[in-house]
Amino acid sequence: MNRKEFLADCGKKGLAGVALSLFPWLESCSEKAQQEVKGEKARIGMIGTGSRGLYHIKNLLRMPNVEMVALCDDYRPHLENAAQYYPNAKLYDDYRKLLEDKSVDGVIVTTPLYLHGRITMDALRAGKRVFCEKSMAFTLDEALDVYNCRKEMNGVLLIGQQRLFDPKYARAMQMIHEGKIGKVVGVRNYWYRNNDWRREVPSPELERRINWRLYSEYSRGLMTELACHHLQNGSWAMGMLPEKVMGSGSLLHWNKDGRDVYDAVSAIFTYPNGVNMTFESIISNKHFGMGEQILGTEGTIDLVTCMRYTDEPAPKGSGMHQLVAQIENGVMSNSVFAGTSWAAETSSLAPGIPIMDNVTISTGESTVGAEADGSIEIMEAFVHAVITGKQPEKVLEESYYATQFALLADKAMHENAILTLDEKYRVPYEPMK
Amino acid sequence: MKDTIITAGAKRRELWILLACFVVANMVNWYAIIRFAAPWYEIFTQIGYVVVTTLVFYLLILILRLAQKLIVYLKQK
Ligand SMILES: NC(=O)c1ccc[n+]([C@@H]2O[C@H](COP(=O)([O-])OP(=O)(O)OC[C@H]3O[C@@H](n4cnc5c(N)ncnc54)[C@H](O)[C@@H]3O)[C@@H](O)[C@H]2O)c1
Repeated sequence: MNRKEFLADCGKKGLAGVALSLFPWLESCSEKAQQEVKGEKARIGMIGTGSRGLYHIKNLLRMPNVEMVALCDDYRPHLENAAQYYPNAKLYDDYRKLLEDKSVDGVIVTTPLYLHGRITMDALRAGKRVFCEKSMAFTLDEALDVYNCRKEMNGVLLIGQQRLFDPKYARAMQMIHEGKIGKVVGVRNYWYRNNDWRREVPSPELERRINWRLYSEYSRGLMTELACHHLQNGSWAMGMLPEKVMGSGSLLHWNKDGRDVYDAVSAIFTYPNGVNMTFESIISNKHFGMGEQILGTEGTIDLVTCMRYTDEPAPKGSGMHQLVAQIENGVMSNSVFAGTSWAAETSSLAPGIPIMDNVTISTGESTVGAEADGSIEIMEAFVHAVITGKQPEKVLEESYYATQFALLADKAMHENAILTLDEKYRVPYEPMK
Repeated sequence: MKDTIITAGAKRRELWILLACFVVANMVNWYAIIRFAAPWYEIFTQIGYVVVTTLVFYLLILILRLAQKLIVYLKQK
């Protein structure tokens, strides 16, 4: 089921109102909203035409109400590469010039992380509507500044947390909020790869420019590049924000090339009700791939594979059977070796139930972007917002906190401490349930 | 081979013992239903188990009675 089918299906079941009231930010992807902007054009400029920029360009090319009017990159080969797709777009090597361009209504920021905050705020102040890739900012303070700047300018800002716009995630969250897996008792995230996370460098002086992800001067590594997607799932499922964060990171395997961000991290986020959310990433073993699992008392939802597993206990048999079994156990058990806690529990082989049909599953291996992962939908929502000037509800706060907790976990790892998010960073948060 | 005469009293006694075993087996079933929060219709659906349990109880009692008789017999000798 794709997005349109999902929304249509909700309609068929008389759930349209429910689904959209649960996920109001999806409204901009609805048929009605798309009709609203039919025939109108969103005049867009892109800053940072690297690999993610090109990925978005390929999606934007399929959207009839997008006009790419300007492209900007201070690395010529990337700019020229992007210009092939939009030969009529104006080309800039200084983003400030693009922001001065009156023909640009909306800006897509796909630069390295350390520039996100600065460019986003400059763009908002220039009156542009902004889509900025995750994570929202480079530091806790900067994220707050970006949030406040959007509010002050009453502008439009979307952050590239595309899972929020992925129909399979929305459907899964709806099931979780309806109690289909019972009480949520754990959130387990992991992202494993087995590669050095490097990009090829044409000449040595470009190392830091091309491989900015590997240097703490430009990026916070695995937490801001990968974890922020997963952390946002946790609060979406839990309907609350973590209370404290602890973690450990190390430069374990890829430690001979001069990089200074961790290549192995493990973090625990504890919610006020005691539930723990974990995130682990290792980039020198990929056996388990990527996982985003919500664990409930009556079942488990794997968001990545889009499957639901029930924890229904095996049929117990009649009272008499159980009594006989208990007597047998009593006779057979050996008091020295105690009871069942000694029995090794292997993972359940119960077959899951698909949450939706015909879904495309991402392995998490691509560093550019997966297929059918909500990226098209989030772009459609942005295009809609550029034309209408309406800020989609709730998603900014969700992205804001995903960034803050990714940054806080990174800080906890560096300081070897258990941290809570300072009150000054708290912004109004309405749970998405 | 000698003819064996089972008196009406002996038959009645055996039937009473069997009935008592049946009642006890039913009580075990009720206990199991309550103990394991099983549905009450198991009073009927588990009747097979109850009958088997009845026979087991009866057999156990029979063995005890025979053992008792044997001891008395040996003592009298
Ligand atoms: N949402 C997702 O799933 C997802 C996936 C991949 C990447 N991303 C994000 O997208 C962003 C870009 O990642 P990428 O893989 O495309 O990196 P990249 O290095 O391929 O591209 C970044 C581009 O920005 C350009 N740039 C750097 N400084 C600039 C400046 N001052 N002015 C203009 N251009 C400048 C670089 O020359 C480069 O072309 C990152 O923040 C990354 O986290 C998000």
